[in-house]
Amino acid sequence: MSELTLLVLRLAFLLVLWGFIFIVVFALRTDLFGQRVRRQVGSDQITSGLRGEKPSMAGEQRLVAAGDLNSPTPANALPNNSAPAATALTATRLVIVTGPKSGLELSLEQEPLTIGRATESGLVIRDDYTSTHHARLMLLNDSWVIQDLDSTNGTFLDGTRVSVPTHVPLNTPVKIGSTSFELRR
Amino acid sequence: MSGPSPLVATPPPTVGSERRRLFGGAGRLRLRVPAKLRNLELLLLIFAVAIMAAAVLLVQLGALGAVDASFFPFVGGLALLAVVMHVVLRVVASEADPFILPIATLLNGIGIAMIYRIDIAQHRLGWQSSGIRQMVWTAIAMVVALIVLVVIRNHRVLQRYRYIAMFVGIGLLLLPLIPGVGLQINGARAWIGIGARRADGTVPLSFQPGELAKIALAVFFAGYLVTARDSLSLVGRRFLGIRFPRVRDLGPILVIWLAAMAVLVLQRDLGISLLYFGLFLVMIYVATGRLSWVILGMTLFVGGAVAASQLLGYVANRFGAWLDAFNNDIYHRVGGSYQLVQGIFGMSGGGLTGSGLGLGSPNIVPFAASDFIVASLGEELGLTGLFAILALFLLFVSRGFRIAFAGQDDFGRLLGVGLAFIIALQVFIVIGGITRVIPLTGLTTPFMAAGGSSLVANWIIVALLLRLSDTVRAQPRIVVES
Repeated sequence: MSELTLLVLRLAFLLVLWGFIFIVVFALRTDLFGQRVRRQVGSDQITSGLRGEKPSMAGEQRLVAAGDLNSPTPANALPNNSAPAATALTATRLVIVTGPKSGLELSLEQEPLTIGRATESGLVIRDDYTSTHHARLMLLNDSWVIQDLDSTNGTFLDGTRVSVPTHVPLNTPVKIGSTSFELRR
Repeated sequence: MSGPSPLVATPPPTVGSERRRLFGGAGRLRLRVPAKLRNLELLLLIFAVAIMAAAVLLVQLGALGAVDASFFPFVGGLALLAVVMHVVLRVVASEADPFILPIATLLNGIGIAMIYRIDIAQHRLGWQSSGIRQMVWTAIAMVVALIVLVVIRNHRVLQRYRYIAMFVGIGLLLLPLIPGVGLQINGARAWIGIGARRADGTVPLSFQPGELAKIALAVFFAGYLVTARDSLSLVGRRFLGIRFPRVRDLGPILVIWLAAMAVLVLQRDLGISLLYFGLFLVMIYVATGRLSWVILGMTLFVGGAVAASQLLGYVANRFGAWLDAFNNDIYHRVGGSYQLVQGIFGMSGGGLTGSGLGLGSPNIVPFAASDFIVASLGEELGLTGLFAILALFLLFVSRGFRIAFAGQDDFGRLLGVGLAFIIALQVFIVIGGITRVIPLTGLTTPFMAAGGSSLVANWIIVALLLRLSDTVRAQPRIVVES
C-alpha cells in the first residue's frame, strides 16, 4: 500500500466523519434555525381532502375569518400567489393567556392539534366545561383554523361562539372552558 | 353547522381513526411522521456503521499492511446490534429521537476501532484482546439498554422510586469500600471483583459500580428536586444582589458535598467525586434557577479539593503533574506526569490531520485504550478528527437538553438535563484532564474507552433519553387541570 493511497484514505476518512456530523446538523436545521417556509402544495392537498370528504357541507365549510389581521377571504377563494404573505403571518406557538396554566406555551407543528379532555389530545384541558373531543386547530392554506367538534359548552373566538371552522388571527383569544389561548408568531 | 353534524355526532374510538375519516390528507400526514423519524435513524445508522467499518479497515491497512477477515466480528457485531436496537425502537418507542442512537453507535464504533488498533500494536489477539472484550461489553450494554427500553414504558414510573434510587446510588458508590468485594486498581478503590480471585490477586471480571450510581443519583436528584425546589428557590436572604438560601435548606447540598468528599478521600477517585457533585449542582441550578447554589457549591468543592490537595498525597501528585507537567523530576516520578506528557506528545505528533489510523504509535502512552483513548485518537485522527468526535458529543448532549426542554413533566425535564449533563461533564473531565485544562482524573470517555461498566451505564443513559424523547412526542404536550 503506497504512502499516497494511505494519505488519500486518511483524509477521506476525516471528510466522511465530518460528513456524518453535517448530515445530522442538516437534519436538525429546523431545531437550530426555526421552521422553514412551507410550500403551497401541501395545504392544497389538505383543502381538497377536506372538501372531498365532506361534499354535503361544502357550503358550510367556507371559512369565515374573524378579527382584522387576516383578510376576510374564505380559504378556498385564496389565490395561490398569496402564500408567501400568509406564511409570514403563520402562527408558530400557542400561548395560554388565562386559566390555571396561563403563561405556558407550546410550539405548533404543521400537524393538527386536538383540544379536549381526552388524554390523547395535543392540548388536554380538564375542567368542568370541556368536552372529551372539544376542538381542533389545523393548518389550512398556511393559516390556523379552529374547528369546534360539536362541544357542549362551545369554543369562543374573540367572544363569538365558533360554529364553522374559522381562521384564528394572531393574538386573538380563543376561549375553551376556563382556559383561553392565543396564537402568536 | 349549529346542529350535530352526522360525522362528529358518533365519536369513533380513537383520535387517529377519527382524524383519518374526517381529514384524509391531514391524517395521513400525521401518521407518516413517526416512520420518518425511524427512517432517518436507519439512514444515519447505516452511515455510522460504514464509518466504523472504514475505520477498522484503515487500521488494518495501516498497522498490518493488508486487510484480513478479522475485522468482520467487529463490524458485523456492531451492525447487528444497531439494527436490532433500531427494530426494537420501531416497536416500543417509534417516536424517539432519531439522532441519539446513531451518534452513540458511531462513538462506540470509533472506540472499538481504536482499541483494536492498540491491540494490534501490543500483539494481543483472540479472546484476551481488549477489542473483542469491548465488543462483548458493547453487546451486553446494548442488550441492557433494550431491556430498559422495553421495561420502562413511561419514565414517570422512575419518580416513584426516587428514594430507592438514592439508596441504590449510595450503596453502589460505597460498594467498593467493603473489604473482600472492593478492588484497588491503579490507586483508586472504585472497582468490585466478580468471580473467584486468582492467585495473583486479579479477578476474571471487574466492575465499576460508580458508573451505574450516576444514573441512580440522577433519578434521585430529579425526583427530589421536583418536590423540594420551591423551598430551595423561593425563600432566603438577599446579599450582594443574589438570593442566598436559608441555613436549614443547606442540608441536601451538604450531604452531597460530604459524599463527594468521602469518595475523594476513601476511594481516592477525584473524577467520580467531581462528576457527582457537578451533576447535583447543575440539577439544582436548573430546578431553582438560582446562581447562589452554583456559587455556594463551587466554593465548597474548590475548598474541599484544595484542602485535599494539601492533605492527600495522591491529589497533590495530580495537581503537581497538572501544573508542572514538563518538569523533569515530575515526569520521571512514579505517579508523575509521564502518561500525561506522552499523551500530549502523541497528540502534537498527530497534528492537524493525524498520522492516519494504524500509522501512529499511540501504544506508548500507558492505558492508551482506556483512560487515554482520546490522546490515541488525537494522534491518529489529528485535531480535525478529535474535533469531529467532540462535535458528536456536543450533538448528543444538545439532543439530551432539547429532549428535556420539550418535556412536559418537571421530573422528565430534570432527568433529561441530568442524564445529558452527565455525558457532557464526563467528556469535559476526561478530555480536560488529557489536554491539561484541569487535573487528570480517572474517568472514562463515554462510549469510547475500553471498559464494560462505563459502556453499560452510558447505554442505559441512551435508553432513558430515547424513552424520554418518545414520551415527549407521544404524550399530550400541555395538560391544563383546574
